[in-house]
Amino acid sequence: MKIRTMVIAMAAVLAMTLTGCATSRQMEKVEADQKLLDAKVEQALQNAQVAKTAADEAKQKAADATSRAEQAEKAAQEREQLANEKMQRADAAFQKSMRK
Amino acid sequence: MHRTHTLSPAAARVRLLALALLVLMLNGCASMKSAWLSPGHPEAEVERHHFPTEKGNDVIGRLATLRLEERDTLPDIARHFGLGINALSAANPGLDVWVPEAGKQLILPLCFILPDVPRKGIVINLATMRLFQFKGDGAVQAVSTYPVGIGTRERPTPTGSMHVARKAARPTWHVPASIAEDHRRKGDPLPAKILPGPLNPLGDYALYLSKTGYLIHGTNKPASIGLKASNGCLRLYPENVKVLFNNTPTETPVQIVNQPYLLGQRDGILYLEAHTPLENPSSGALEQEKVDARLRTLEKKAGRPLDWKKVKQVQAEARGIPVPILALAPGLELASVPPLEVGHPDKLYGSPEQPELRPGAWHVLAGETREEIDARRLAAIINHQGPQIPARVLPKSNGYRVLAGPFNDAGEAREAARRLKVDLEIDGIVIEPARETAARH
Repeated sequence: MKIRTMVIAMAAVLAMTLTGCATSRQMEKVEADQKLLDAKVEQALQNAQVAKTAADEAKQKAADATSRAEQAEKAAQEREQLANEKMQRADAAFQKSMRK
Repeated sequence: MHRTHTLSPAAARVRLLALALLVLMLNGCASMKSAWLSPGHPEAEVERHHFPTEKGNDVIGRLATLRLEERDTLPDIARHFGLGINALSAANPGLDVWVPEAGKQLILPLCFILPDVPRKGIVINLATMRLFQFKGDGAVQAVSTYPVGIGTRERPTPTGSMHVARKAARPTWHVPASIAEDHRRKGDPLPAKILPGPLNPLGDYALYLSKTGYLIHGTNKPASIGLKASNGCLRLYPENVKVLFNNTPTETPVQIVNQPYLLGQRDGILYLEAHTPLENPSSGALEQEKVDARLRTLEKKAGRPLDWKKVKQVQAEARGIPVPILALAPGLELASVPPLEVGHPDKLYGSPEQPELRPGAWHVLAGETREEIDARRLAAIINHQGPQIPARVLPKSNGYRVLAGPFNDAGEAREAARRLKVDLEIDGIVIEPARETAARH
């Protein structure tokens, strides 16, 4: 009975030892996989950051261009308004000068 | 004794050939003439003052067009074509009065609807700033028409019936107390009377109206025709008042009306002519309502629908041009007569002369500008003062100068500087002759 119990215990210990070996390998693989994934994620993040920066730059450029266009339009409108005002002021001064 | 020549057959053939050639040549000339007068070619002249008018026809004249050239100004074109500056500006909205863009096609509104009053004597429509003088009785009459300048908002020209009480050539202007006071306040005191001459604002002819204090007269400021600039009198271009003066006996009836919206028909087509009402918008609205009521009656009578959208557009735009709006009889086309293309004259009548540059003369620096257009506008305005103050634009390194002159002496230059200050609020700088300045150094 004792021997039987001992054999069973040894078998259990062996099985546990063997299981432990298998788990370590798996862990190593998982870790390697994780590292690889991490690297990929890092790369992806970097790529995304680069893309975002590029997109932001493009967006900024577009915004700048829009702003410049708006400013140019506003400036043109102001110039036109100024020209009209000058024209009207000149006409008003002239009309006043035509009185007796 | 008669001698009879008998031609040989050969000589007869030669003579026949020569005759045929002559006919062909004459025909060629006729073809060329028709080419000269083809619709695409500008006409040299256009009628602007005198028109026949038949009973039942209320529209006179025809629209014309003119291509603008460099250095044109609207007041010069207006005067040459017998128009007021108001009419030319309204017909061509947005155009710079003093520096209009060369090459643009300008509409000359030489088509007018007669005011809605009996056609007798002189009729003046204040809203259109135009005078009509009717001649003759019966079915066929003639009408002469001229642009006028009218009273300001503060001193408006009165409406109503009156007549020509007396006339005077080379009139003396007895300055009314109110005007003397105005001038005194702006630092430009006037004498009690101004004798005939270039400083007399009445010009060379005056027709005194029965309504005391009001005259139809010429002007020493021709560019004011088509403006609200008088103290209630009616001003005409010098060349127009001369004709009117000679054709108008005393006692001629004068009717002054204010009709901004005119309806009239010609050859069965109803036209609408709209002008910006002179005074407050409510009086304009009242006039518009009157015309709309007449239009509703005519629409009902004609038995065809009126394009009210077009009517409202004509009224809103107020370009002072008769626009066809309704065919009053079946079978008539509602088409506008195409405007007559007029060639640009070499010299516009009455346009200011530009004296030659004389460095040895006196000048007045009237202004300095960065933009050429501003300098040209200022020079044009100074040139169109009455009497004229000659002015020109001179380029400098970083802009432009407007120089008034040349003047013969310091007195003339100082007088010009004084007028620039009083009339245009310009602080001019009197410039001594270049020769004298050089001699001092």
